[in-house]
Amino acid sequence: MTPMVDVAFLLLTFFMLTTKFRPPEIVQINLPASHSIQKLPESNVLTVTVSAQNSFLMGVSSQQSREKIFNAVVIQKLKHAGLSSKAIADSLKHFKLAESFRVERDELDKYVVMARFADPKLRPVVRADAGAGFEAVNYVIKVYKKANLLTFNLITVLKREVR
Amino acid sequence: MGIVDSPNGRRSVKKGRRKSKRIGFHLDMTPMVDVAFLLLTFFMLTTTFSKSNTMEINIPPEKLEVKVAEKNVMTMRIAGDGFAYCSLGNEAPKKFLLYDVADTRQLSLSGDLRKMLKQQTSANLKMVIVVKLSDKAKYKQLVDIIDELNLMKIDRFSLDDYTELDALEIKRAV
Repeated sequence: MTPMVDVAFLLLTFFMLTTKFRPPEIVQINLPASHSIQKLPESNVLTVTVSAQNSFLMGVSSQQSREKIFNAVVIQKLKHAGLSSKAIADSLKHFKLAESFRVERDELDKYVVMARFADPKLRPVVRADAGAGFEAVNYVIKVYKKANLLTFNLITVLKREVR
Repeated sequence: MGIVDSPNGRRSVKKGRRKSKRIGFHLDMTPMVDVAFLLLTFFMLTTTFSKSNTMEINIPPEKLEVKVAEKNVMTMRIAGDGFAYCSLGNEAPKKFLLYDVADTRQLSLSGDLRKMLKQQTSANLKMVIVVKLSDKAKYKQLVDIIDELNLMKIDRFSLDDYTELDALEIKRAV
């Protein structure tokens, strides 16, 4: 039985080390399907999510960039709202761990420019719901264009049927 | 279930304690193996090796203009009413169903539209397709069109803004 247990433990360690728990999503996104098999890079990703209700969420993959964005944009708002420094430090901690955060439509460009400033190597990505309006997606594309991010990716899921 | 015996371990109550401690002790590993397998099944079942697929898109910078002869341009307008209006150069646009009626889940573009795209691009290798989507169109339609063009290995296409003029243009459709 020892060899079997050995193999079991080997597999167990493998799965435990490779598993990265996906944080719960704020909004459910139903991705469109395509035949593209190109993979998304793992690091340095700037994701703008467009939900089916055409609301925007933004996320950056690295925590340093998140902190920079927080210090550049969010902190003034919180100070303006009259939060104590302790509360601000607390929300920074949450902000650094959050995968994405809600962004108002007219503030999106400010955040995108800040994210690019924080990390110039960022890869912009649009993650939109299949039912999202083209108008909202086009708005994101325009924001990218304005920030001089001219190559970007659209996230899709693989279509099963083969042609 | 899983009792692991050491080679010379013998369960004997009669023998003295000291001796059995030294020569081959006996350890019941069953609970540990149980837990290990439980965790293993948990991780195996919850892990999905998923990395999202993506489509790469390049957009021209704001101030760049590329001049293309009019006869080499095909404009494809999606007004959001389920039709694609395709026009060559300045001709009146032709109306195509975006998805086949039988294709209830809208898995791919309609056969007519695909046939037309294939015909036009193989007839004129310099053909540039300009895709214009109105604000009423859905994101899915954009993805389907780009996907279709990628499948046909057509890389000469671009996105453009849908303006009032386009809305007037599709009224001429036949």
